[in-house]
Amino acid sequence: MELPTLVASVIVVSLYVNLGIALYGIFARPSLVKKLLAITILSDTANAFAVLVGYRWPRTGTPQPPVLMNTTNYNESIKYYIEHAVDPLPQALVLTAIVIGLAVTLFIAFVIIQYYRLYGTVNVRKTATSSR
Amino acid sequence: MMHENLIPIGIIPLLLTIAAFIIPLLSIVIKKKLFYHVYALIFSIVALIYTVLNYYIVNILYGKPIAYFFGGWIAPIGIAYVVDGLGSVLGLLIGVDMLFIVVYSVWYMWNEEGVEWYYALLLLLEASMIGIVYTGDMFNLFVMIELLAISAYGLVAFYRNKKEAIEATIKYSLIGATATTMFFLSIVFLYGTYGTVNMADLAVKARLPWICETFNEACRFFSAYSGVSYGNPMLATAIAIVFALWAFTFKAAIFPNHFWLPDAHPEAPTPVSAALSGLVVKMGAYSTLRVLYTVFGLGSLIDIPTGAGLSLRDVIAYIVLILGAVSAIAGSLVMIIQNDIKRILAYSTIAHLGLIFMGIGAVMHGSSKAVVTAAVTAVVFHIINHSFGKTLAFMVSGVYIKAVGTRDILELRGVGRLLPVTSTALVISLLHLLGVPPLGGFFSKLLLYNALMMSGQIIFAIILVLSAAISMLGYMRVVINIIVPPRPSKYIGVIREHIVPSTLFAVLIATIIGIGILSMVGGVVYLESIVGSTGWIDGIREYINSILSFYASVK
Repeated sequence: MELPTLVASVIVVSLYVNLGIALYGIFARPSLVKKLLAITILSDTANAFAVLVGYRWPRTGTPQPPVLMNTTNYNESIKYYIEHAVDPLPQALVLTAIVIGLAVTLFIAFVIIQYYRLYGTVNVRKTATSSR
Repeated sequence: MMHENLIPIGIIPLLLTIAAFIIPLLSIVIKKKLFYHVYALIFSIVALIYTVLNYYIVNILYGKPIAYFFGGWIAPIGIAYVVDGLGSVLGLLIGVDMLFIVVYSVWYMWNEEGVEWYYALLLLLEASMIGIVYTGDMFNLFVMIELLAISAYGLVAFYRNKKEAIEATIKYSLIGATATTMFFLSIVFLYGTYGTVNMADLAVKARLPWICETFNEACRFFSAYSGVSYGNPMLATAIAIVFALWAFTFKAAIFPNHFWLPDAHPEAPTPVSAALSGLVVKMGAYSTLRVLYTVFGLGSLIDIPTGAGLSLRDVIAYIVLILGAVSAIAGSLVMIIQNDIKRILAYSTIAHLGLIFMGIGAVMHGSSKAVVTAAVTAVVFHIINHSFGKTLAFMVSGVYIKAVGTRDILELRGVGRLLPVTSTALVISLLHLLGVPPLGGFFSKLLLYNALMMSGQIIFAIILVLSAAISMLGYMRVVINIIVPPRPSKYIGVIREHIVPSTLFAVLIATIIGIGILSMVGGVVYLESIVGSTGWIDGIREYINSILSFYASVK
């Protein structure tokens, strides 16, 4: 197995394990704060996955960030860019997803604080009596 | 120039979002509540005008789907909005229904504290829903679904000092955030495989190679920008659809993901319950319809039969059918034993969404054009009918709740006799939801039944009838408890009708009866001519072609 393939496989497997840990945290842990942490792990895993999808190992040389460095010799630098740069679109998607994730995390954090004020605990198993 | 006429497509979600975000700034300066009521009313009327305009452009002026590129970036690279018959009909529905809800809010929330935040979230809700039905881009769909989710969480938590409201919000938002993250993961899978997130482009890539023979220009146009597919597209598509369906069934409250709805909808302010039950849950159904019909529909790579004669799409369709059937039966059964009027209506929403999903799952490999047309028309017609019926039913429940101060139907005994207009509206809306012949609800259930019979799903057609029969018990319990007993003496002279909700009820009753009459004199055929081609090859071709013709007009 070549080195890039091996590294990619290890990363993919660890991301799937991360996904499983996050889902376990969301569904099985009783504490709301732990659930919130698990949600951030989940969204970070998804974001890392998107970045991985956009990553490319060029035939020669090392991968470059998707920034056009040289604008004087346009044709040459475009050619170099296409051969070496990683895909910028997943990074744009991840940026948007991070911003949205920030809003959701803040909202859930607020709701957990309010929950604590009203119930005096963040353990959902202790307060499950009110559900009908 | 054609594209100068298309500005209304792109502007509505943006306009409403800006209008919503200005409200918190205005609230520093302006303290009068009347201003915010008028402000929301004006913007919902503007949104209605734009949705009517879009409906006019798509269905009357051009008679074909239209596209709009944001910022002038060409479709597979930039974000495109594509409005076809289906999108324009649902956009119009959102515009009309949200205007009703805002008018009702003006009465219901007149003296409520924090009304400016309420309207900010309500306008965001409307912006995101219009964005969902108009967008032609998977990632934009994700953004709009997240926007919808955040504004819906905020509205459910509006009474933030009530224990039940906060608990309902926790249930809704924690699992909702998980589901939408899974949808993001599904988009990552699609992008990694097809190199694009544009729906028209995905529809072309999923139908390679045969679409290149009949529709070569689309093939060449999109492959010039986003290349060809990579890896094992069938496996990746299957994983992506599984992840996406989790988010969609969560939004639509279909069986394993229905648990949040009976808590969240009753705890929200009543106009919000009407919006959530009437419109927000339909967005999950719409997204499923779009993904399973337009993008990965008949003729796509997951529609090739493998072992046992079933294609991958058939398996997904069967899952959708079975989950819909379970929701329809479970929602109707649990509805019977509830005493809270808003919970009864919430469980009825689960049952109706189950029926809608059964309609979506009716199309299998080898279905003829008649089956596809019947299924799509039935689903859209039932979405429209349930939307108006459930909006009216929740508005009626709000009048009772405001008059007496309880949601328990056993404590509301006889109150209906003191409010004649409201009780008429209650009876008509429940008969409409149940599906009694002169009203629209009957015709959409009949169409769903027809579509299921035409596709050979006889068991599911029987389940549809069974669900309606069981849910009758729940609806009748409401009527028997609220209207039949004698008038409670302590409320005589205390409770009286208010002019705003009564007028609104009259308009909504007229709408419901109007839909029923229209469907008898050719309305169904008209609806079929607008939305029927969604999912069949000519509809998909027009959907793809809208991007090519918009590109040609701006080039």
